[in-house]
Amino acid sequence: MHATICDLITDLVQNSIEACATDIKLNVEETKTNLNVVIADNGKGMSTAVLEKAKDPFYSDGQKHKHRRVGLGLPFLFQTAEMTGGNAAIKSTEGVGTTVTFQFDPANVDLPMFGNFTMAAVTLMTYGFEGNLTIERSVDGAGYSISKMEVLDALGDLNDTENLILLKNYMASQEEEIKVL
Amino acid sequence: MAKMTLEELRSLRDTKKKEMTQRDSGGKSAQIIIGMGTCGIAAGAKEAFDAFLDELNSHDVKDTRITQTGCMGLCFSEPTVEVAVPGMPRVIYGNVDGKVARRIVKEHIIGKALVSDHIFDKPAADIIK
Ligand SMILES: Nc1ncnc2c1ncn2[C@@H]1O[C@H](COP(=O)(O)OP(=O)(O)OP(=O)(O)O)[C@@H](O)[C@H]1O
Ligand code: FES
Ligand SMILES: [Mg+2]
Repeated sequence: MHATICDLITDLVQNSIEACATDIKLNVEETKTNLNVVIADNGKGMSTAVLEKAKDPFYSDGQKHKHRRVGLGLPFLFQTAEMTGGNAAIKSTEGVGTTVTFQFDPANVDLPMFGNFTMAAVTLMTYGFEGNLTIERSVDGAGYSISKMEVLDALGDLNDTENLILLKNYMASQEEEIKVL
Repeated sequence: MAKMTLEELRSLRDTKKKEMTQRDSGGKSAQIIIGMGTCGIAAGAKEAFDAFLDELNSHDVKDTRITQTGCMGLCFSEPTVEVAVPGMPRVIYGNVDGKVARRIVKEHIIGKALVSDHIFDKPAADIIK
């Protein structure tokens, strides 16, 4: 099971990538009383039947993991929501896309730690997929936004270690700016 | 660290690029492939990724590529990392936490010696191309 909210977010964005999305929007908004996350993609979407099954902890599409038939992404989201009195919802239209949203109470003692957003962003931006990913991030009203296309444009090869280090420093500086008040 | 702009990011990159063309890289680079499936993430693959970047940076190792892959089907030994150094056998390491990642950089990538106690598998020659 995931140790942090950032791990969960990584997992959910990967679902969008796996659904062949070419445009993914990730919104992560923190205030003192609320953690609000939206992941919207234009991937293949889910039929009502698949969507029902997807909420089931014992469902994965059966192709991805040879040794495991159990999905961990969505079930973990719903379980965390239930455990902490938060909300989680999925809206999906086949052939159009999927939007996953959740709101958690940051003060709830059962909520996993938030985790390292810098590395989550670096990982997702450089995960080998063709499409774009736009991140909107804010803490108590101060925020930034960055897209994979902008990063690609500035850095070029996103697998080169030196570029990865630059990207990590870039993301860390954005995070630092909004966290130091 | 002051907030970096995209312009600054670009110019930092250009500086690095100039240094790179002045350097004789020999054209061969080491490759690190990190398994970023759900189990990998849950087991700490992002910490391993972070440690690789940090250690490569502090030893000033250039010419290394890091890529990510989804499920490697090796849940029980996550995080899993494949390392290919030119002239050495391709190796899969299991249970790569931050500490092991740093050892891989120092011992395998710089020192050209396998980190034997974390080798998961050496794929047969006919499986890898
Ligand atoms: N954004 C999405 N677009 C389309 N289908 C989705 C999306 N997210 C989830 N699904 C469907 O829901 C199923 C369950 O997702 P979940 O993340 O729980 O498990 P998984 O991705 O199959 O496996 P795991 O996340 O453990 O690697 C997926 O197999 C997929 O069919
Ligand atoms: S990520 Fe572990 S079996 Fe796929
Ligand atoms: Mg998933």
